[in-house]
Amino acid sequence: MPLNRKVGIVDLTTGKIEIKPIPLEIRKTLIGGRGLDVYLLHKYAKPGCDPLGPDNAIIFSGGLLCATLASASARLHVMSKSPLTNMLGSGNCGGFFAPEMTWAGFHHIVVKGKSPKPVYLFVHDGEIEIRDAKNCWGKTVTEAQWAVREELGDNDIKCAVCGPAGEKMVRFANVMTEIKNSAGRTGNGAVMGSKNLKLIAARGTMDVKIAHPREALDHDKKFIEQITSAKVNQTQGALGTPFIWGATNSWGGIRTNNWQYNQLLYADDVEPERLDEICEETMGKYHMTGCFGCQVHCRAQYKIPYSPLAEKLGVVGKYDEGPEYTSQGAFAGEPGCTSADTVLIGNHLVDQYGMDNLETGSIISWAMELYEKGILTSKDTGGLDLRFGNDEALLEMVKQICFRSTPLGDTLAEGNLRAAAKIGKGSEKYLIHVKGMANLHSDERATPGLALNIAVSSRGSDHLRSRPAIDLYHLPQDVMRKIYGSPVPYDGPLSSDHREYIGKPWQVRWHEQCYMAVDCLGICKYHTVFLGATLPNFEDWPKVIYYNTGLEFTPQEIWEVAERANMLERMFLVREGFKRDDPATGDVLVDRYHDEPAKRGAPDVIGSVIDREKFKQMRAEFYKHKGLDENGIPTPETLKRLGLENFDKTPSLI
Amino acid sequence: MAEEKLSTAESLRATRTYGQVRCHNPSCTSRITPAPGTTQVKCPVCGSEWRIFWIKAGFPRIKGPVWETSQRLANERLASLAEQKEPKKEGK
Repeated sequence: MPLNRKVGIVDLTTGKIEIKPIPLEIRKTLIGGRGLDVYLLHKYAKPGCDPLGPDNAIIFSGGLLCATLASASARLHVMSKSPLTNMLGSGNCGGFFAPEMTWAGFHHIVVKGKSPKPVYLFVHDGEIEIRDAKNCWGKTVTEAQWAVREELGDNDIKCAVCGPAGEKMVRFANVMTEIKNSAGRTGNGAVMGSKNLKLIAARGTMDVKIAHPREALDHDKKFIEQITSAKVNQTQGALGTPFIWGATNSWGGIRTNNWQYNQLLYADDVEPERLDEICEETMGKYHMTGCFGCQVHCRAQYKIPYSPLAEKLGVVGKYDEGPEYTSQGAFAGEPGCTSADTVLIGNHLVDQYGMDNLETGSIISWAMELYEKGILTSKDTGGLDLRFGNDEALLEMVKQICFRSTPLGDTLAEGNLRAAAKIGKGSEKYLIHVKGMANLHSDERATPGLALNIAVSSRGSDHLRSRPAIDLYHLPQDVMRKIYGSPVPYDGPLSSDHREYIGKPWQVRWHEQCYMAVDCLGICKYHTVFLGATLPNFEDWPKVIYYNTGLEFTPQEIWEVAERANMLERMFLVREGFKRDDPATGDVLVDRYHDEPAKRGAPDVIGSVIDREKFKQMRAEFYKHKGLDENGIPTPETLKRLGLENFDKTPSLI
Repeated sequence: MAEEKLSTAESLRATRTYGQVRCHNPSCTSRITPAPGTTQVKCPVCGSEWRIFWIKAGFPRIKGPVWETSQRLANERLASLAEQKEPKKEGK
C-alpha cells in the first residue's frame, strides 16, 4: 500500500538512521509530498540556521500517489532552507527516482547534520546505508550515477545527485535525477554538497499494492484520455516545453538582454520547431520520451550537432535531453543569443554540472548588462568580452561559475543578492528577482496576474507555485466561473483580459492551491490546470486517490490540505525573516517592473508596466483570500481554522 | 465510490476547438482558421501576421510572428507612444 511507505531520517554527523511510519493523521491533514516536506522542514531544520551548515535539513520525497497507477506519478520533491535565498528551498522534478525510492520502501528521506567525508546513501527494500562516496565524488551528474551503478553491480539503480556545482556549493546548484531532471532553483544541490552527500541511490522491489486495482485501471484509462487528448499536451508531445517559450516570445513576454527588452527578435533558430528538427536529425523520428507513468512524453532527446563552438568545447555528439523552455530563456533570450547550438550546449553543461539553468542564465545576463553599462569592466571579467549575444563568453561563464574558477565566476556562484552586494556600484538595481531568486525567463509587465504570482510565490520569483497561465487564453467568463468557482465557491470578479488587474488575486490563489495539491499527490503539473483549462483538478482527484490508496477525500478536503501546506510554507518564510516590502524577503517586484515600459512585442504590450498602486491592491486582496493580515502574516483565526495555532510548540509526529 | 456527474474538466472538454489558432495579439485574440498546409496567416481583425506550424494535419499552431510585420506594427506603436508623451508645442 502507498500508506505503508516510511520516512527515513539520517543524521550524517552521528551516522544514526531512524525509520518511522507516516501516521494516518498526517496523511489526512497533509497528504504527503511537498505538504509533508514542509512539515518536516519546520521540525528538522533549526530556525535561523545557516543553509550550508549542519543544522539545515534536506528532505527528498515522492507524493502519496507515487508509483501507483495514477498517471505521471513520478515527481520528486526536494526541500531545505535555501542557500540562495535564506528562505524556503523547494524543487520538484520528474524522472524515475521517486518511484524507485517508493519501491525501496520510502516516501520521504530527511538528511541532517554533516558527514566528515563524502558519502552517499543507498536506499533499498526498507533499509538505508551510508556509504563512502570515493568512487563518485568529483564526478559529473551522469558519471556519478554510473559509478555507483557499477560499484553496486546494478544498472537499474536510480539516483538523486548533486553535480560538481553542488560540491562547490554554488548557491543555485540543483538536485538532479538521470540526465536532465532538475529539482532546481533554490540551491538544494548546494545543501547536499555542504553535507558531503553526493547522492542517494535507490533500488526497490517492494511493490506498491493498489487498494482497488480494477477500478483504478478503469478510471485511469478515462483520466489519461482526458489528459492526452488536450491540445496543449499533444503539442508538448510533439515539441516539448519549448513550445511555451515560442508562444510567449511571439507576443512579447520573454526577458531579453536581461530585462531591457521583452522579445527576442528573429529567434527562428531557437524556436521549438527548429530544436525539434535537430532532435530528429540526431536521434531519429521517435525522439520524444517521458517520465515514469506518463503518456504526454514532453521530453526531447538530442545529440549536440557539430558546430565550431561545440568542437572547441569538446561536446560534439554528446547526448542530452530537453532542452526545456527554461534553457531557451537562459541561453537565448536573456543573454540575447539566437543560436540553437548555444541553447543545446548550454543545456548540456548545466545538466552535467547540476546547476540551475534559469539562475545561471539570469545571473550571467545580469553581468552582461553590468558589462554593457561599465559597472563591470574587462578587468573584472578577466578579459572576457561579456557582451550580449556573445555565445562563447556565455558558455565560458557557465564553466567559471560551476567551478568558481575565476573571481567573477566565484562571485556569481554566490547568487544574485550576494553577488550584487559584492560588486556594489548600484548593480542591484539591474537584478530581476523576488526574494533573492531570479525571475523565470518570462516578462510579466503586460500580465498583472502573472506578476502577482511571482511576487507572492513561496520560493521566490517562480511560475510553478501559483501561475494562472491559462489567463493568457482569454477564456470566456462562463468557463472561468466553472474553473475558479470550485471546489470552494467564488462569485467575485474575474476578467478574461490578461492585461487586467481585476480578479487576478483569486486566480493566483486558486492556482497556488491547485499546484500545492498536485505536489502533495506527486503528480505532474502538466496533468492539471497549468497550461490546459480542460485538464483534471480538485474534482477529479478524489477517485484517483481512493482507487489507488483507499483514502477518501472530498475536493474540499484536498483544498483544505493544500491550504494548510501553503500556510506552513508561509509560516516558514515568516520564521526565517519575511518582511512584506523587503526586496530580499518580501512579496514585491523590483522597480524595473514598475518603471521601465516594455519596448517590443504586440502593439498593446509595448508600453506596459505594472502599476504600483494596483499591484498593492492585488496583493492585499490575495492576502485576504489566503487568510493573511495586511502585512502578509497568517492571522490567528486562519491558523486556528487549519489546526496550526500551536504548531511550533507541538512535538513532531514523525 | 459512486459515479457522479461530469467534473468541470470533463465538461469543459466540449469547448475545445480544432483547426484554429488564436491571434497572439493580446487585445485581439480572435480565432483564425488557417488553410490546410499554409505557413503564414494574417489576422482578419487586427492585421497581425503569424507564421504557422502544423503539429499534425488539422492541428495548426502559431510558430511566431512574421518579423517584418511585427516590427512595423511595433515601431508604429512606439512612435505613437512617443507622440503622446511629447505633445506638439503650440504657437511656434
